[in-house]
Amino acid sequence: MSAQPEKARARNAQAKRRSLIVLLILVAITLGYLALDRSADAPGAYRARSVVTTIAILLALVKVRLIFREFMQVRNAPMLLCRLIDLWVAMIGAALLASYYIGLAVH
Amino acid sequence: MSETSAGPATLAEPPTEAGPPRGLAGIAWHWRNDPKRELWFAWYSMIIFYNIFVIVFFIMTHAQPPPHPDWSDAQVVSWFNGNHNGLLIGFGIVFAIAALTVPANALIAYSMRRMSVSRAFAYSYLVMYSLSAFPGMLLLCVVLSVAAMRPGRDPAQTHWLYDFAFLSYIGTMGIFLVGSLVWMLAILLDKNRVLPKWFGYLNLCNALTEVVVAPAWIFHRGVLDWNGLISWWINMVVFGVYTSAFMVLLRTMIRREDFGEGPLPDLPNTLKAKIAALAGAAQ
Amino acid sequence: MTDIAQAEQPEAETKKPARHIPGQPDMWVLVLFEALVFTAYFAVYLFHRSAHSGLFLRSQAYLNPWLGTLDTVLLLTSSMFMLHCVQAARAGVARAAMTNACLTALLGLGFLISKVTEWILLTRTGHGFTSNEFFMYYFFLTGIHLLHLLIGFITLGVIMYQLRSPKRGSREIVETCATYWHTVDLLWILIFSLLYVVR
Repeated sequence: MSAQPEKARARNAQAKRRSLIVLLILVAITLGYLALDRSADAPGAYRARSVVTTIAILLALVKVRLIFREFMQVRNAPMLLCRLIDLWVAMIGAALLASYYIGLAVH
Repeated sequence: MSETSAGPATLAEPPTEAGPPRGLAGIAWHWRNDPKRELWFAWYSMIIFYNIFVIVFFIMTHAQPPPHPDWSDAQVVSWFNGNHNGLLIGFGIVFAIAALTVPANALIAYSMRRMSVSRAFAYSYLVMYSLSAFPGMLLLCVVLSVAAMRPGRDPAQTHWLYDFAFLSYIGTMGIFLVGSLVWMLAILLDKNRVLPKWFGYLNLCNALTEVVVAPAWIFHRGVLDWNGLISWWINMVVFGVYTSAFMVLLRTMIRREDFGEGPLPDLPNTLKAKIAALAGAAQ
Repeated sequence: MTDIAQAEQPEAETKKPARHIPGQPDMWVLVLFEALVFTAYFAVYLFHRSAHSGLFLRSQAYLNPWLGTLDTVLLLTSSMFMLHCVQAARAGVARAAMTNACLTALLGLGFLISKVTEWILLTRTGHGFTSNEFFMYYFFLTGIHLLHLLIGFITLGVIMYQLRSPKRGSREIVETCATYWHTVDLLWILIFSLLYVVR
């Protein structure tokens, strides 16, 4: 009986730790953007770089999936929702990359 | 068309051996005896109106998709000349059948009256949408008809009428925005399960499209003008999904209607019920 | 269709907690639908970017990536506190849930102030909604996102209203509103990468 609140507290602390780790990973990726931004070209002399664009989009998708699975708790949702979210992330990625590259090809 | 419901308020059913007759006689029977006939009339009015709307606006008059806002006087005059008969006949039809929007709006207001929320939602929606029909659709029809009526008019004047028509159509979205929010709020607060909550949220999407259309007042070219990829094309997809959804949902509502005050009963043979039955049998 | 999509499936493992959809399944319809609509906007932006790449690149240089990063970190942190709020609400600890909800709101407010400041700075230097095509997309996307954030504040208000009274406290509504808030964060992640970083 007295173990119950202990277990709940331990689970709670573990959940909080997990969410903090997820936040730190997300912030790290965000700071990675800054590094990408700096390294892409000299400030004030931006150049079109499809590599940078592709990395930026892929990193965004990683963050989006992480937010879905951890913060929005899709990880603990029925498999159908998990699969649907993965499909959505893939669709968004495909649409963004396709529109960028098709735009490059056409223009 | 009349469904038996498992709920407390059941409809008066004909004796099973007599039953509603089939075919033309069946239609006559329903016209005389079906307690939901007014609801079905309203629903069919909505379907007929939207179908005629699409044919008139998209095919006969070419007013949708809208022509470009950045055309010259000569191009605008050429558009009117090319669509002269279509514009006059098409909008003539719209003027004749515009009143079909009234029962359609009444049905939507009825859905809110059936909900557990205040009647104010239904009445305010009804007033808003009744008033919005003029700037939201009829003004465009009147002005474009006026412009088409005299092909020899000064091109600058024709261009003025063209701008007036399309801006009035696009720019008066505010009423639709508020109306969508009223319906959304009613659905989300409703305890009678008249309409599903996801449709309430879809109302929010629809309301937001009215905001997305607002830059059409500012831009004359690009993706945010009244003809733009974002302001018109993507918006129309959202609007199309929204309209199709409420047509289907209102039909389901009428089928479920038990004329009571409490939660609407579910239909007996839905896929959800079948899945639940399977899940129950598996345990 | 959506009812089938969100139907719960029986839990296979007996040791793990039962899988459940966070909040109303209906809210997930909104989340996925809005994600598609915004993806359409982004696709249009990316497609048109290459038509005027010089103009877009020059204009993009006026954006401040540090402010963008700050905005992102603010929203990410607010999402974490939102998750804590939901977890506390589930455990029945209303006070902790309320504190976390307030922290979420505060960080959201921080984002709002930062965004408006950035807009003011840009318009002061002559880059407004109608300045050029890049800034048209910039103000449109950040503007429509800000509108979603304001709606997010309303959902936070609903959460706080639910938490204030134990009789009212509906776990489902708290989770539903939280799902919406995370969507605001999600959309910003995409907007930030597409407006500030993409070349």
